[in-house]
Amino acid sequence: MASRPTVNVRSTAGEATTSLPLPAVLTAPIRLDVVQQVHKSLAKNKRQAYAVNVKAGHQTSAESWGTGRAVARIPRVGGGGTHRSGQAAFGNMCRGGRMFAPTKTWRKWHVKVNQNQRRFAVVSALAASALPSLVLARGHRIEQIEEVPLVVSSAVESLVKTKEAVTLLKSLNAYADVVKVSTSRKLRAGKGKLRNRRHRQRRGPLIVYNEDKGIVKAFRNLPGVELVNVRRLNLLQLAPGGHLGRFVIWTESAFGLLDEVFGTFEKAAVYKKDYLLPTAKISNPDVTRLINSSEIQAVVRPAGPKTQKRPWTQKKNPLTNKAVLFRLNPYAKAYRKQQLEKKSEKSKKEKAAGEAFLGTLFAP
Amino acid sequence: MSSDLQWLLIRKYNSFMVKKVPEGPVFSREAGNLPNLHSYKYSGLANSKTVAVADTGSNVQITYTKKSASPHAVNSAKATYSIRSRSGPRRSLGVAAKLTKRGYRADLRPVLLARVSALSASKKEPKSRPAKKPRGKKAKAATA
Repeated sequence: MASRPTVNVRSTAGEATTSLPLPAVLTAPIRLDVVQQVHKSLAKNKRQAYAVNVKAGHQTSAESWGTGRAVARIPRVGGGGTHRSGQAAFGNMCRGGRMFAPTKTWRKWHVKVNQNQRRFAVVSALAASALPSLVLARGHRIEQIEEVPLVVSSAVESLVKTKEAVTLLKSLNAYADVVKVSTSRKLRAGKGKLRNRRHRQRRGPLIVYNEDKGIVKAFRNLPGVELVNVRRLNLLQLAPGGHLGRFVIWTESAFGLLDEVFGTFEKAAVYKKDYLLPTAKISNPDVTRLINSSEIQAVVRPAGPKTQKRPWTQKKNPLTNKAVLFRLNPYAKAYRKQQLEKKSEKSKKEKAAGEAFLGTLFAP
Repeated sequence: MSSDLQWLLIRKYNSFMVKKVPEGPVFSREAGNLPNLHSYKYSGLANSKTVAVADTGSNVQITYTKKSASPHAVNSAKATYSIRSRSGPRRSLGVAAKLTKRGYRADLRPVLLARVSALSASKKEPKSRPAKKPRGKKAKAATA
């Protein structure tokens, strides 16, 4: 096996100092479908129950009038002296009636996802966060940063002031992503405004730390920036909306711990019981390389002579196309000429009708 | 990670896609996409070698991915060379094609040249036209 690729560790000033081997998680297979499906289910687990009042639309003693009164047989409110009496009730089509299939609080709000699937999704999302193209495709402004994954020395874990956090992000050239978040802040459409979701904004970088020595408080007020401990990495943060490629900034110690948290392809994880990373189905997914490989080229049939699907321009019908007919049958031209001459002679003859004949045509 | 697989991951949706034209072409606005079309060949994200053309105001800059760059490098993977603004359209096309001539994404040559020439054409100052001679009624009014 070739030597494992390394990732530079950057100082707080932004330049590369030491390097770490790339953790095995970041080379795990990326399965978009698994991430989407698991995210869809996990995103449901924060829901709170809601329903309409059980009594809504049923707080009346309406009864049907039955047949014979030339009105629909829907239950009607009894009594008199008020507009409500005689009005239809209960039905979902009635004013003041209950809704169709009233919502109940005992709906299945939460979805269980198998542990291995959850882990697969997290591992996939992590691997995707180590590829610049996928992070760019998610919309993070990382064009100016040096490297993905972006690892910073553990000294940042003891940052306390947000001002320091901003200078760090600026020196890493990662501040553009925070600026993107802050300019994207918009008032939410709809009722969510009244329900503590007043604004909506993009997501910024996710900062993964090993030990909080003040880093959380230093960064948390920056718009869009989220912080998480390596041991508690979460799919909802790694792939928001089920979209792969969150921009992750690692601290050195957190990055070094990844092989313990998720294990490798051979060694089980320390923080998870008996967990080995999922292996890819094929080791080389490069299609061009596969096709051009000597193994495949050795067994494929050699390319035959070039065949053209339609070597002629377009097939012409000699019965309707004169030029093609004359090419096929050289006599056809002379024959056609004769026919035409004969026809013209005939028509000349026909034209010369005698005056006597014409005279007989008309009635006197 | 192969570029084929990366393309499969970003093909369905990504933040650069533009699907505004109904039933029409799908565009893409990332930097390395020369004709701005959403396709594997032209994708500035999936391909390991990409060429981007940008107008800096004073000159036209061509950015490409270094051949030996690590797949994890972002900014340091890029190299640029620029076309001087005083070189005319013909010369600037030659300068732009230098990259493809040495076998770097030779398949992108026509779109690269098209983009460079569009940029240099936009920089050209429009020719001053001779003033319109008045005709008909206006000519009579002018002489009188």
